[in-house]
Formats: sequence, structure tokens, C-alpha cells
Amino acid sequence: MTSAPFSLRFGRFCYLAFNVGVVVFLLAPIAIVFVFALNPTPYIQFPPVGVSMRWFEKFFASRDFMNALWFSLEVAVLTTVAATLFGASAALALARGRLPGSRAITAIMLSPLMLPAILTGLALFQTYVLLDVGRPTWGLVLGHTIVSIPYVVRTTLAVLHNFDTRLEEAAQNLGAGALRTYFEVTLPLTKPGVMAGAVFAFIVSFDQFPISLFLVSPGHETLPITLFNYLKFDLDGTIGAASVVSIVLAVLVVVGLDRTVGLRSYAEL
Amino acid sequence: MSAAIDIVAVTKTYDGRTRAVDAVDMAIREGEFFSLLGPSGCGKTTTLRMIAGFETPTEGTIAVGGADVTHVPAHKRDMGMVFQNYALFPHRSVGENVGFGLRMRGMDRAMIARKVTDALAQVELVGYEDRRPGQLSGGQQQRVALARAIVIEPRVLLCDEPLGALDKKLRQSMQFELKQLQRKLGLTMVFVTHDQEEALAMSDRIAVMNAGKVEQIGTPSEIYDRPGTRFVADFIGDTNLFRGEVIRTGGTCVLRVDSDLSIELAEEPGTIGPLSVALRPEKIVLTAPGAHAGQGLDGIVESANFQGGSVLYRIEAAGRRLLAQQPNNGSHELFQAGAAVALRWTPSDIVILKD
Repeated sequence: MTSAPFSLRFGRFCYLAFNVGVVVFLLAPIAIVFVFALNPTPYIQFPPVGVSMRWFEKFFASRDFMNALWFSLEVAVLTTVAATLFGASAALALARGRLPGSRAITAIMLSPLMLPAILTGLALFQTYVLLDVGRPTWGLVLGHTIVSIPYVVRTTLAVLHNFDTRLEEAAQNLGAGALRTYFEVTLPLTKPGVMAGAVFAFIVSFDQFPISLFLVSPGHETLPITLFNYLKFDLDGTIGAASVVSIVLAVLVVVGLDRTVGLRSYAEL
Repeated sequence: MSAAIDIVAVTKTYDGRTRAVDAVDMAIREGEFFSLLGPSGCGKTTTLRMIAGFETPTEGTIAVGGADVTHVPAHKRDMGMVFQNYALFPHRSVGENVGFGLRMRGMDRAMIARKVTDALAQVELVGYEDRRPGQLSGGQQQRVALARAIVIEPRVLLCDEPLGALDKKLRQSMQFELKQLQRKLGLTMVFVTHDQEEALAMSDRIAVMNAGKVEQIGTPSEIYDRPGTRFVADFIGDTNLFRGEVIRTGGTCVLRVDSDLSIELAEEPGTIGPLSVALRPEKIVLTAPGAHAGQGLDGIVESANFQGGSVLYRIEAAGRRLLAQQPNNGSHELFQAGAAVALRWTPSDIVILKD
């Protein structure tokens, strides 16, 4: 085997090194969190002095953290369902319906992405105060849903954009009405986009801080808010343990959705 | 049960001004292989989509089997359709694709399975039930699309350039098979194509469309031998077009093209004033120059394009370029570029055209 010329090998090496660098850059914070969570000392220390489960035990034993974790999960699940239903339907209407001003509507649907979430939170907070509804759970879910919808709209629009509408016509031609066409053809084929949006919605809600900051009621807080409040007084490995649990949960959601409903696309056609 | 289709004064406009389909009338007979032929943008696909129910006519009516279906939604029309690029459901197996229409009709599973097997047998794809469309070749996908359309025993089979994506050899064999299947099942078939050879080879009748209007409806030989308009003569096959003034000398009618060329007409044109006529290249007989009987011209062969079964000549004559085609069957002298030739034809081969 003849070896490739030096310049080519050098080029490949640089390319590989660059990619490794990017991956390390992306994963380093996660690695630090893991080290922080497993290190037994009650402050951030490098190099770590050992491995212990004490922070995890503390996290899982804490009633405040557990309540917050379950509440966060509840809000995230409700947000995911609401944002997915609304976002996927909106994307379909924008892509298919001959809506007047569909470009403007798309821009409005995506605007929460451009607006600082803290402003959205503040606006919702003031609206709730004006309406005198207090700080109900549905209010929090609504806030999370508003900032999650753009993700679902985007990912669903992306698959709808590449969708061959003749497939829907073929279904109609074969006797399927509008609803059946949607469930037999459109939804199965756009599912990867819808599900990718759902995953984003879950993670956006589960990690949501600025919106929740305004909308949670004291004593009934989501995990990021509880962590923030904890951080104000303590900085120990419990924070790391909570972060690890959050990361693992997020990964489980992605893997779970992939296994059950599938995120793969039928890209071959 | 096949059905006739009556299209009456159908117009389709999307913005209120440009007419994609403009006052089209067509009476498609039961069991007929009917082609819509024309260049892209001529309105043929829009017409087909209105028959299928994917578009609603802006004006006019469409009736199938005598019943007005103009406002019946596509899924209630009971028509089979083979799409360009087939539109097979990629997430379903071949068997599920073919059985889709039957399932929508609420047929029970055992019956569907039997009908799917029969339909796949008809397109020679037995044993492919469990494959995915993505695993099949273009020709096989084409057959699945056809099986999916005929298994519902449609009243009408619509085809939107179904053979366009196949290579030439495969296309020809599919043309043959499609025609056979249509005849065997007695299907009324509406076939959209921009390929005039395909339309001529397969159709019982052809509607030639241009700019949203029907130029001519007729059998392939009528369309080819007696084109009604300048567009049809030019679009279908090669042709020599002439334009001039009609003058009468004695008992005969002559088209005076210019000072070098006057063409005798066998029939009296109904109109006076400027007129276009067509002459097919194969109606011109080439001989060595000399005495020529009847209509004719002298010319020089500019190029000789050998096509196997025939030779297509470009000839410079009377200050213009003419096409002449001679069969390569031994009874005609073959000429090289640069040769002087005489061109002859009979006046009855001159076809009078409408503009």
C-alpha cells in the first residue's frame, strides 16, 4: 500500500484534530459536572480526590429536590404534549393551507426564539397579575409552551417542506378522506420532524429558567429554580448530582422516543 | 365498470387572469385510451388533476358516467391514478401500498390479501409483497403504482407521465404492457404525456393541447396525417411549414409562398388571404435532378442524417431549408451532402392548417 502524500495526511490530521477539539469543547462541561457530582469534597476541586455517591444520596433524600424534580417532569410532559399538538398543527396549516400572510404568521410563531425568554416571562407575569389568576400550574405550562412551540414548528416545517404532496394526493385518490390521509400518510412521514420538535420542547421546558423564575409559586418550584435557590446559600456536589440526573433524564427521553415512535426518517424516497 | 368522461367548457385560472386551462371540451369514451399531449405548461396536467378532483374547475363541468363530479372530492371519485414518480408510500410495504385503496373501502383482510396477490400477478411482481418501495427499481415501482391503481377496479385510470422516468428500452416495453392491460381490463384511460411518439403509439385518440386550449382531438393517424393547426403540425413529428397567399389560376388553387415557390393545393381552402400548409418529410420523394412530373423543386442536399431504417435529408431549395425523409429499403437512391436533387410530392399530401 502506498501512503498518501504528506500534505493530504497532514490535512486529514488537522481535520480530525479540529473535530476532536469540537467534541471535547462540547462535552467538557458535562465531564466537569460528573466530576463535581462524584467528588466527595463539598466544594469544586480538581483533581478529584475520590468517588462517592453522597451527593446523589443527599439529592434523592431531599424532599425539596424530589418535589421539584417531579414537578419539573410534570410540567415538561404537559408542555411537550401541548407544544407538539399546537406546533405540528400550526406547521401543517402554514405549509399546506393557502393562508394569507403565512410568512408573517411563521415569523410570529418563531418570534419567541428571538425574544429573550426573560422578557416573555415578565410579560406573562404581568398579564397574569392583570388578569388576577395567581400563579397556577397551567400558567407555567403555558409559558413553557410558548417558548417551545417555535422548535416544533421549525422541525415540522422542515420535514413538510421536503414532503411530496403527491403522496397525500395518492391517498385521497385511493379513497382516503382528509383525516385518514393525515394519519395514514402525512403524520407517519413527518413523524421524525414532529418527534424531534417534541424532544426539543421537553428539554426546553425541563431546563427552563427565565420563564419559570417569574411564574412559579413559592414553595412549588421547578428543579432549575430550586437549584438556583439552593446555590444562593450552598455550593456543594448536590448541584452536580442534580445536573447529572437532569442530563440522564434528557438522554432517556430521547432514547425512549427513538425506541418507541422512532426519530428516523424515510429519507430514501 | 368503465365510464365515459365529459368535460364541458372547463376553465381553470389560479389568479383570475392567466388561464391554465381555457374553455376545454372533451368527450372521452368508455374504454378508450385517451392521451393529453402537449408541451409543458399547456394545461394537460391541470386537466388531469381536475378529472382526479385535486383541482376544482373555475368554470365548466366534468361528468363521469353521466354524473356531474365537478364538486365531488377526490377520495369519492373512484378513479385510479398513476403519478409521475409513482408516489408510492415509502413507509409501507409493496403489499400495503397495493392494498391501501381496498382498506380505505373497508374490505376485509383476507379479501385484500387475495386481491393484492392478483394485482401483483398482473404486473408480474408476485412475491414482492413485503419489500419496501425504496428497495425496488424504477420499473418495478412503476408496476407497483399501476397495481395499486387498478386493484380498486377504478371507473377511470389516470396516468400523469407515468413512463417519463424510465429509460428508453424499459419505456417501450412498459408502453406495450400498459396498452395490453388497458385493453384486457377495458379501462377508460386518460394518459398525460409530452412525448408525441408515446401518444401516437398508445392512444385510441389524442387531444393536443397548447396554452390551455385544445388544438385538435383525433386518432393518432388523423393527428399526424391531417393536423388541424399550425401548432399540431409543428409539434407532432417533423414537418415542412409554408405560409403564403392563395391565388387561383384557371381551375387550380395555388399557394404563392414567394416568387420562387408556389404550391398547388388539391382542395379549395375555405378562406381567402394568408394561409399555412404542412408537408411531411416522408411525403417528399427525392430523385436525381431532371424531368420531374407534377409538383416539385430542385435543391441541394445540405446534410444526410442516416437513421438506420430511413435517411433524413436537409435540403436547400427555393431559398429555404426543407426536410425530406426516404426509407432505406433499397428502392430509393441515397444521396450525399452536396448532391443536387429533385423534390416531388403530390398535392393531396399538402395539409391546409388553421393558425
